[in-house]
Amino acid sequence: MIENLTGTVEITDLDKWYGDFHALRRISLSVADGERIVICGPSGSGKSTLIRCVNQLETHQKGKVSVGGLELKPGAGNLAPIRRQIGMVFQQFNLFPHLSVLGNCTLALTRAKKMPRTEAEALAMENLEKVRIPDQARKYPAQLSGGQQQRVAIARALCMQPKVMLFDEPTSALDPEMIKEVLDVMSALAKDGMTMICVTHEMGFAREVADRIVFMDEGMVIEEATPDVFFSNPRNDRTKKFLSQILH
Amino acid sequence: MSLLEIIAGIFEGFRVTATVTALGLLYAIPFAFVAGVLQHFLPGVRRVLVTTVIEFWRSSPVIVLLFVFYYSLPAFGVRMSAMTVASLVLGLNIGGYGSQAVRAALQALPHGQVEAGLALGLQRWTILLLIELPQALRSMVPTFMNQLIQLIKGTALVSLITLTDMTYRAKELAQVEYNPVGIYSGLLIAYLIICYPVTVLGRSIEQRASYAESKHREF
Repeated sequence: MIENLTGTVEITDLDKWYGDFHALRRISLSVADGERIVICGPSGSGKSTLIRCVNQLETHQKGKVSVGGLELKPGAGNLAPIRRQIGMVFQQFNLFPHLSVLGNCTLALTRAKKMPRTEAEALAMENLEKVRIPDQARKYPAQLSGGQQQRVAIARALCMQPKVMLFDEPTSALDPEMIKEVLDVMSALAKDGMTMICVTHEMGFAREVADRIVFMDEGMVIEEATPDVFFSNPRNDRTKKFLSQILH
Repeated sequence: MSLLEIIAGIFEGFRVTATVTALGLLYAIPFAFVAGVLQHFLPGVRRVLVTTVIEFWRSSPVIVLLFVFYYSLPAFGVRMSAMTVASLVLGLNIGGYGSQAVRAALQALPHGQVEAGLALGLQRWTILLLIELPQALRSMVPTFMNQLIQLIKGTALVSLITLTDMTYRAKELAQVEYNPVGIYSGLLIAYLIICYPVTVLGRSIEQRASYAESKHREF
């Protein structure tokens, strides 16, 4: 049963090209159930592409991606049920502007999971509670601040009760004063034991929350290490250079 | 005949004008949505086929289409009533334009909307029906109202394939009364009487659509 997937992610020898551009080069990464991974690296290094391959918003040309032991094949017809087990939070929030906060959270529950409306709304309120925004349930996305919108987007993903959460630069489009409220919600989630893969430049968050940090450059994984080792004792020169640039 | 009597006489053709418009919409609206959505979705050759069909209806003069369908097709064994030909030709012509409004509105949506739907595990057609079309509809309203008015005005051509619409009635009256100035001025007024309320209605629908949007935008 797809519903009983575990939150493991297995990426094996993944290659992706955009035309002639080799975006991902033989990437392998395995993520255990409940593990929290932060992916960082300079822009254009392929980290967003990699995370988007996990739920097949981007298709790869070679290699294998599987979640909970189930392979996601590019262009396969049965992607939707597996995607329901993988929550995703986008840089640009991507809330549905024509639906209320509650409507955003319940749409996929009632349509894809065929959950009765009252049950879906109760579950939505529970998750809006979790991201500390239950009082905004009847509002529309455009009436909310960026930080609030991103928290709604997190709640919307959590409503599907996913086994894995993917965060694709969730704070990069936010005003500085709103970054913390989103990171606080993400840290709380991390304590709940959910598998998390976060692409982010927030090194404070990475240090505090990550079990492992993956550093990418030019479509390759350059270095993988625990936060302690990564920040205090990076091995690779490119990692050192990157860290010196962002940790002023 | 006073102007009032002339207009009353012309309005005896109103039922036909209204019927052609209503039946025309029955062709135009489904055609616009199906063709517009297909053009947005389909890849390669199939897309070219859809585009060809759209361009056929959009790029041919309505009057020529009316004549071909009414006078030429019977020679090949295809016989349709004047009313069927009128609503089909006018409807699909306007629908061809409408399809471009549908396609453009769908293409104008940020791609993140579809991605968010896919990431939630929704099927592609659910995303179209519940996420893309509701948002696209709002930006289509002004174009659609314009095209409704185009359709109403276009019905004046059906008098040329024997339908007794308002224009046909005016021609009849003109032959009997020898008063082309009065009668064709009356015809002009008759069309204004119909089309003006539609523009007013259209504006109020547009305002409601944009009001709903501004309500969403307020803080």
